[in-house]
Amino acid sequence: MNIIKKLELKKHMMTAISFFLPIVVAAGFLLAIGNIAGGETIVNFREGFTLADVCTTMGGYGLGLLPMIVATALGFSIADKPGIAPGLIVGMVASGIESGFLGGLVGGYLAGYITKMIIDWMKVPKWAEGLMPTLVIPFLSSLTAGLIMYYFIGTPVIWFTDILKSYLGNLDHSSLFFYGVIIGVLSSIDYGGAINKVVFAFVFTLFSEGIYEPITVLILASMVTPFGMTIAFFFQRLFRKNIYTKMEAETLKTAFPMGICQITEGCFPIVFNDLVKCVIATAVGGGIGGGLSMLWGADSHIPASGMFALPTMTKPLAFIGALVIGSLATAIVLFIIKKEVDPDEERVDFGIAEEEDIDFSDIKIS
Amino acid sequence: MNIVGIAACTAGVAHTYIAKEKLMKAGESRGHQVIIETQGLAGTQDQLTADDIASADIVVIATDIKVKGKHRFSGKKIVEVPTGLVVKSPNKLVEKLEEIHREKKK
Repeated sequence: MNIIKKLELKKHMMTAISFFLPIVVAAGFLLAIGNIAGGETIVNFREGFTLADVCTTMGGYGLGLLPMIVATALGFSIADKPGIAPGLIVGMVASGIESGFLGGLVGGYLAGYITKMIIDWMKVPKWAEGLMPTLVIPFLSSLTAGLIMYYFIGTPVIWFTDILKSYLGNLDHSSLFFYGVIIGVLSSIDYGGAINKVVFAFVFTLFSEGIYEPITVLILASMVTPFGMTIAFFFQRLFRKNIYTKMEAETLKTAFPMGICQITEGCFPIVFNDLVKCVIATAVGGGIGGGLSMLWGADSHIPASGMFALPTMTKPLAFIGALVIGSLATAIVLFIIKKEVDPDEERVDFGIAEEEDIDFSDIKIS
Repeated sequence: MNIVGIAACTAGVAHTYIAKEKLMKAGESRGHQVIIETQGLAGTQDQLTADDIASADIVVIATDIKVKGKHRFSGKKIVEVPTGLVVKSPNKLVEKLEEIHREKKK
């Protein structure tokens, strides 16, 4: 257990995700705008092209880069700068053998830890010390990680994704709904935190294999909270129960447009004022919306960008339907369980007594 | 005491800045001087100066990811925590920091 903790697998994965999120967003938006405008991938630059073609092509390039970006960022996170070279090369290997995002993930960990092992453990005579960073480390780490990818890991990774693909492709209705609920709940309850990012890595693996429904659930789940909270705001006029303070209602003005772009974080000021109840409302909405979206087969062909993903779907109505029902569920639950507040109340910070106890295994002192 | 540190989360949009704010508020309410650098999606902001670090009694790194420039703190007492912990229990964390600081002095 200690060794696993020392490897810091999660922290490296989070670093990798932090590197590729901006690329996913940029590529996703480019692809969405390109597709809306009827763009096609530019095959021959000399034959001329339209603006839409440019967007589509760049979006495609961006998404195609992702196995490499993950591998590179993992290499960098684990072994610092020396991890970048093997990460890049092994990431390309992952693309080349068509092991997709999962291959990039595995390859990146390999490249990083191998590089780190070489740096930490390989002792050379004094005359060769200068050769270590310039030649030995980049060459040896790339070669070793690449060989392992080609000869050992590549095939099982491809098997695994194939099994997953055929399994998910043949789900019946009740299990479709069930998986949708799980993805919806997990990707919404921590509002874009660590759980959401792990789910993202998983559904993105499926996305890169051409299974678009799970990532659509994640897109939807990130939007349910801001939408639901906004709907709840209109409920309070309708049913004369004040659940938001004036300050909180004010944050909705930015939280809703952010929600359209699939960013949940705008809701944070409201969420942190009443964490448990908000999480319950979010989980209910995320679960119901996710289950319906999966069941009805909403399929975003881009991995992010919220409402802008709509034109890329073959069943946009399924998405809208699931989103509306999920958001309504969040709104209703939130409206019922949230206590009535005085709209002019100032936000009070919690004192030390109400705080959660610190888990000391989370703290690292050096 | 003087607390310096870095905050950085996965997406670099929200937790990073909330962790900074909570830590500063909790620290200052207990009479400490707190300076936090953020490494979010917008890059490094409020970068710590050499003077800040030299006069620091303790370093807090609130992060879920690899942070830049950790070597600047060599020789200092470094406490590394996930951002979620800072967001949930800033006051308890500051209390813990005080304890670590006292032990170091002994």
